[in-house]
Amino acid sequence: MNIRAAAAHVISEVVTQGRSLSDCLPETFTHFPEQRDQALLQAMCYGVCRRYFYLEALLDLLLEKPMKSKDHDIYALMLVGLYQLSDMRIPDYAAVAETVAAVIEFDKVWAKGLVNAVLRNYQRHIDELQVELEKNAEARYSHPAWLIGKIKKAWPANWESVMDANNQHPPFVLRVNQRQGTREHYLEKLAEENIAASPLAETPFGIVLDEAMDVNRLPGFQEGFLSVQDGAAQLAAELLDLSPGMRVLDACAAPGGKTAHMCEQQPDLLELVAVDNDALRLESVLENLERLQLHATCIHSDAGMISEWWDGKLFDRVLLDAPCSASGVIRRHPDIKLLRRPEDLEHLAKEQLRLLTALWPTLKIDGLMLYATCSIFPQENSQVLKQFLAENPDAVEEKITSGWGIDCEIGKQILPGMHGMDGFYYARLRKRQL
Amino acid sequence: MALLNVLQYPDKRLRLKAANVLVVDANIQKIVDDMFETMYAENGVGLAATQANIQQRIVVIDISEDKKSPLCVINPEIIACEGTQYEVEGCISFPGMFDKVERAEKVRLRALDRDGKSYEIDAEGLLSVCIQHEVDHLDGILFMDHLSRLKQDRMAKKIEKERARAME
Repeated sequence: MNIRAAAAHVISEVVTQGRSLSDCLPETFTHFPEQRDQALLQAMCYGVCRRYFYLEALLDLLLEKPMKSKDHDIYALMLVGLYQLSDMRIPDYAAVAETVAAVIEFDKVWAKGLVNAVLRNYQRHIDELQVELEKNAEARYSHPAWLIGKIKKAWPANWESVMDANNQHPPFVLRVNQRQGTREHYLEKLAEENIAASPLAETPFGIVLDEAMDVNRLPGFQEGFLSVQDGAAQLAAELLDLSPGMRVLDACAAPGGKTAHMCEQQPDLLELVAVDNDALRLESVLENLERLQLHATCIHSDAGMISEWWDGKLFDRVLLDAPCSASGVIRRHPDIKLLRRPEDLEHLAKEQLRLLTALWPTLKIDGLMLYATCSIFPQENSQVLKQFLAENPDAVEEKITSGWGIDCEIGKQILPGMHGMDGFYYARLRKRQL
Repeated sequence: MALLNVLQYPDKRLRLKAANVLVVDANIQKIVDDMFETMYAENGVGLAATQANIQQRIVVIDISEDKKSPLCVINPEIIACEGTQYEVEGCISFPGMFDKVERAEKVRLRALDRDGKSYEIDAEGLLSVCIQHEVDHLDGILFMDHLSRLKQDRMAKKIEKERARAME
């Protein structure tokens, strides 16, 4: 199979079927046993999504008439072609020839001339096209208009840097398993293997690698010396202020990065209960814990339906890493820009409040709940908590005093790229005796 | 059932011509059902497949108050027209835009229903307007095309402004 054709197929699935890259990209890998080919395919798919709104505006300028939806595969193929010419280090002649050759795989020979003409016209008129695209905000920031509007409104002083960070490649960040050794020790190990790395500020166990690499080639990965986890997510365990003998709930635990971190942070917990409503993703929690030689009680259920899974024993700590728009991790999942719809935020806010309200009774008096999202919108963060606090007089905010992030009306926000981290939101709630 | 994404002017795909439906099968019926759901969700009285980026000659209409009189229109043909009327129209691809358009007063429509059976109806008033408006969509024609050049330009500018404001 032609790699460009596979990339076009994946892009088309994302745009027309609303599937995520992490869902539909791996299934195409079966056609490409070579790791090099998989890497190229992945780079094209992620790259096209990252630059989608730029490439789309560009292609619309190059097309004399729009494409019918049944020919979306060809449309996506042209986006892949333009991406190679505008962003990749592939010789132009190869990019054009390979992209035109990919048309065959869609059984649409008629499109060969069109694809060739579009890519050649791009090369010929690149300067005029750039000038034209400068006028188009969606193209300039490579975000959909509604998202630009929301980001501007939420972060009037930082919106441009947020969108800029969203369009960057994410750093490759590790968390050292403190049960197995120190960060300094692991940095030495990496240096021995000639892997360039540095400690991540604001986190006690974070390490940033200069370049992404296959985790299995990292020393001690299989033995559980480390995990892959963004720096912002590494802040959760510390904020929970864990002590020996505590009973802890991790609601919406998958894929289990924070679950494992809590076990590493405080090995003498009475019990750590990890709940998730996705059985397949819960499997990955178990795998992760096993690799790191840690233990938690994993339960497959909707965390918000406590009658289905809760044994009635109160928790000292609850981590609610709520489902959200993931607007803080667009640099890791650029397809979010294509998959989210403006109306999603309202539904998500409802779901977040539902989970908060349902889980609150499982928390002991004097217990602490940590609410987390990877969203940058107050609608899913401080506004949800504001409503929750108004409805629950036994809940009080416990301010986070750490140096990182931006203080919000309630809780703290890290914006994408800030401290080298993903966009993340944290707020702590203490339960008091009424 | 699923909600479809409705293209918004000035999306050029609204200008595409739709092709005749060859067989009314389960796929087509699913499109029809999704179109009804989308039309009701958008509070419209009609929706053409072209607006949902599907280039097939399918239209759904329901002009009733209680939303209980769905009319499925596949491969429509307007086989007779009579008189003229001049009523205000809007369109879910042009949110907030309304203007008076000249249309035939009465039309006779021939089309296929959701089961692929041919039928003919005589329509007048709002139903007649709606049929003409939606059949236009299938040919890439928009209601603004029936307005004067001046009004068209004004509408296009207004929409451009609204889009810019959405990003503010």
